[in-house]
Amino acid sequence: MMSFITPHLPLLDLIFIGTGYALSQAIVFRAGTFSVATSGFAALGAYAAAILTVKQGLHPAAAVGLGTLLGLLCGLLLSVPLARLRGVYQAIASLAFVEILVALILYFEDLTGGPLGFHNIPRVVTPWVLFLAMLATMVLLTLLGRGGIGRAFDAMRQDPAVAASLGVNPTRYHVLSFALSGAIAGLFGGLDALRNFSLTAEQFGFSILIGTLSAVVLGGRRAVLGPLIGTTILVLLPEIFRPLADYRQAVYGLLLVVVMAFLPFGVYDTIVMKLHNRKLARAGMLAPKVPKALA
Amino acid sequence: MTSLVLQGVGKRFGGLQAVSPFDMEIARGKITGLIGPNGAGKTTVVNLITGVYKLSQGSIRFGDIDLTEAPRHEVARAGLARTYQTIRLLPDATVVANVMIGMYRHQKTSLVSQLLGLPSSRAETARFRDEVFRLLDRFGMTRYADYPAGSLSYGDQRRVEMMRALALKPEVLLLDEPVAGINEVEAARLGEIFRSLATEGEGMAVLLIEHNMRFVTHLCDYVYVLDGGVLIAQGTAAQVVNDPAVITAYLGDDEDA
Repeated sequence: MMSFITPHLPLLDLIFIGTGYALSQAIVFRAGTFSVATSGFAALGAYAAAILTVKQGLHPAAAVGLGTLLGLLCGLLLSVPLARLRGVYQAIASLAFVEILVALILYFEDLTGGPLGFHNIPRVVTPWVLFLAMLATMVLLTLLGRGGIGRAFDAMRQDPAVAASLGVNPTRYHVLSFALSGAIAGLFGGLDALRNFSLTAEQFGFSILIGTLSAVVLGGRRAVLGPLIGTTILVLLPEIFRPLADYRQAVYGLLLVVVMAFLPFGVYDTIVMKLHNRKLARAGMLAPKVPKALA
Repeated sequence: MTSLVLQGVGKRFGGLQAVSPFDMEIARGKITGLIGPNGAGKTTVVNLITGVYKLSQGSIRFGDIDLTEAPRHEVARAGLARTYQTIRLLPDATVVANVMIGMYRHQKTSLVSQLLGLPSSRAETARFRDEVFRLLDRFGMTRYADYPAGSLSYGDQRRVEMMRALALKPEVLLLDEPVAGINEVEAARLGEIFRSLATEGEGMAVLLIEHNMRFVTHLCDYVYVLDGGVLIAQGTAAQVVNDPAVITAYLGDDEDA
């Protein structure tokens, strides 16, 4: 058994970290914000954890904690300008934030190693740590999603004007979603840095952003399990179909198009919805349709 | 008894005076009607009260609370709830979830206890759920509890919207054409519910915006008539219906009206 699992351990790492990023992405989606800033927060968390551990000699756990805090603060800051934008403009602005951050990492060579990358990071994070971090995040988001915060997020996503007319303060929940997103991405960024010996700026550029976005769209945005399922599929797919590995980006693109065309709510959410509707159809006489409009 | 008082409230869009300054009082325990032909500015009045539009003139007070400049969510927290002329539900959420969002105003647990899903937060959610089911029962909607709101019929969606407004346990309820497109029998049943909302307990202040004259005259204690953004008459339903200005401006010469 172990001989089967051991060579695949790095894949588990990728799934756990990828899920963390995807959860950070999903939480802003849930609150109705079209931001893709997750990889920027992750970069901050990762470089903070790496620099603090290597150059300041901080304990790795404290370094990751500070990286998480940095992500959270940056989320708070970024939520202010993004609150003034809507829809695709938020996406563009948050993409600019990520690209600026990557450029800054390349520029401040003394601190970050610049284009050569940041090396000699101690590898202290085990798959177990990653798994527990992912599990804790999922539990937190599930609990939060079931209470008043989840209800406020849902209302804001589907109709901000109605949410406000019911007493939901839009600014408060917008800021909260960004703080959460920033903290989660900062945490997993920090963990990512301490499992990989080295960091480069490109790691947090456009491709990870697309990968995170794909995982959420593929898996589903509403349930907490969606990002895990999406990430698992995206990580395992190139491994199962080895010949496809070289065309990873193309396969991601194709997969996204297919999912958006046939499963607009993502794999997991669509299954949940179908089961729910079947239960209703069996209990009642109405056959409700799956809502067409994508919230 | 507190009532919602509008004083000299008016709205200009650029050079167009959409609503000329007028006074209005929406009293608790009563159903106040607001009627007028299409484009008279009725919905604009609701949007002014609820903070969707900024007032160009005048002031709005509810008891001791000044709502003149209040943003939407503060108006709601002060105890004013509304329904929309065009239905605005959260279509892919269940009926229960839709109504439950209305409970937001009564949320007492702290952000931290919600973040961590502490027992106090879970107990609150359970209590809200019970209250939602009491509302569903009142509107005869219990069997649709778990359906996506967007899949219901038009009339039932209107009911969900009303239940959501009532979930706020408002002191003032603003109903923007609540029985539009609903048949007479069902409209009468809703009318009874509105009546009981105004009279039961402390009594809500209900503002009813409506086209259906029979419904208005039957239900309202006091009626305001808008035409072209100008308040042209007010009084009891009987007075207003017989007012010559109202007959010419709004009802025309049709004797059936």
